[in-house]
Amino acid sequence: MPKGIGKIKIRVPRKIKKGAVIPVKALITHPMETGFRKDKKTKKRIPAYYINDVNVYYGNDLITHMEWTIAVSANPFMTFYLKADKAAPLKIVWKDIKGGEYEKTIQINPQ
Amino acid sequence: MYKNLFKIAVCLAVILSPLMAVHDVWAGGDSASIQEYEQGCTYEEYEKTYLEFYGNSTNEMAEEGNPAELMLDDGKDLYNTVDGSKGKSCASCHGENGEKLVGVAVKYPKYDPAIKGINTVALQINRCRENQMGAKPLKYESYDQLALTLYVKSLSNGMKINVSIDGPARKFYEKGKKFYYTRMGQWNFNCAICHVKYSCKRVRTNLLSPNRRHGDHWPSYRLKWGKTGSMQRRFRGCMKNMRAKPLPYQSEEYRNLELYLTYQSNGLPLEVPGMRM
Repeated sequence: MPKGIGKIKIRVPRKIKKGAVIPVKALITHPMETGFRKDKKTKKRIPAYYINDVNVYYGNDLITHMEWTIAVSANPFMTFYLKADKAAPLKIVWKDIKGGEYEKTIQINPQ
Repeated sequence: MYKNLFKIAVCLAVILSPLMAVHDVWAGGDSASIQEYEQGCTYEEYEKTYLEFYGNSTNEMAEEGNPAELMLDDGKDLYNTVDGSKGKSCASCHGENGEKLVGVAVKYPKYDPAIKGINTVALQINRCRENQMGAKPLKYESYDQLALTLYVKSLSNGMKINVSIDGPARKFYEKGKKFYYTRMGQWNFNCAICHVKYSCKRVRTNLLSPNRRHGDHWPSYRLKWGKTGSMQRRFRGCMKNMRAKPLPYQSEEYRNLELYLTYQSNGLPLEVPGMRM
């Protein structure tokens, strides 16, 4: 794996009330090469390398699934809303087209 | 025979002297001939214009999560990694969490008698690796180099920039200033015409910034690059825009220029890593 790819940061509010709808913000570092760009020096095409599959698990359930394409920017950042009704781990898994798999788990503890 | 050769040499020197003079401008330290411009606007005015023109989206993005922040962990790992023939890491001299480096980065760039010139953080890291650790220097603008520079600088985050131009550094400050005011490239621009004289005015869709806060946020994540880069990469970009030939990283001119620009940010808190458009 090249350096600096697949570094993840997930942010949720510090205090969560039970049953509240909270924003979850996630950032991952990835070049998201489209496959259409050319290297300026060698004039060769840079092969496509992007994340195409994102899954979010809350506890044991798959709560969201996203299919990304080349239109998503480098170092993609996403926000989604989650109803925090149980104390469970939240796991986000990113998969890219070269077989790389990046995941991070955080614990959600509503009070 | 030798007399003729001497004559030819003198002739050549006379013919070539204007060319050499042009080349010599960058190296020279004569500040008397610099024609200074009046500042186009203050930084406060610029911030106001910026908000009207672009909105606050970049700052909001930086609060949500700056991709450059994710490099800090790697920087810390590298800091604690033993490398080279002497079996040392940065941590063996400077403390495990960088205790001895707190507040050091705000004084850089500074004059160093060992290299008889201006020393920057990136250059000092490579010199440390070569001389103290016996390791290979890191390539400039490589991921490792940027991560390590970022980590070392982030230790002084929030402290006020305090660059000194007293004593021997003065000469290099003047050289940096000279470079800042030297016209170059096909467009015949200098740095100052955009960032001093016409600051707050527009170049097509770009708003020109005054140079007050150019030195306080590097290495910085730039949306245009989609990557983290150093101040000197920005210098190269600016020189390309002026259609001048960019100079190599950590060349003498760029180090002097870095001193000049960081001095303009004196008194502001260091905010590393920054995020810009």
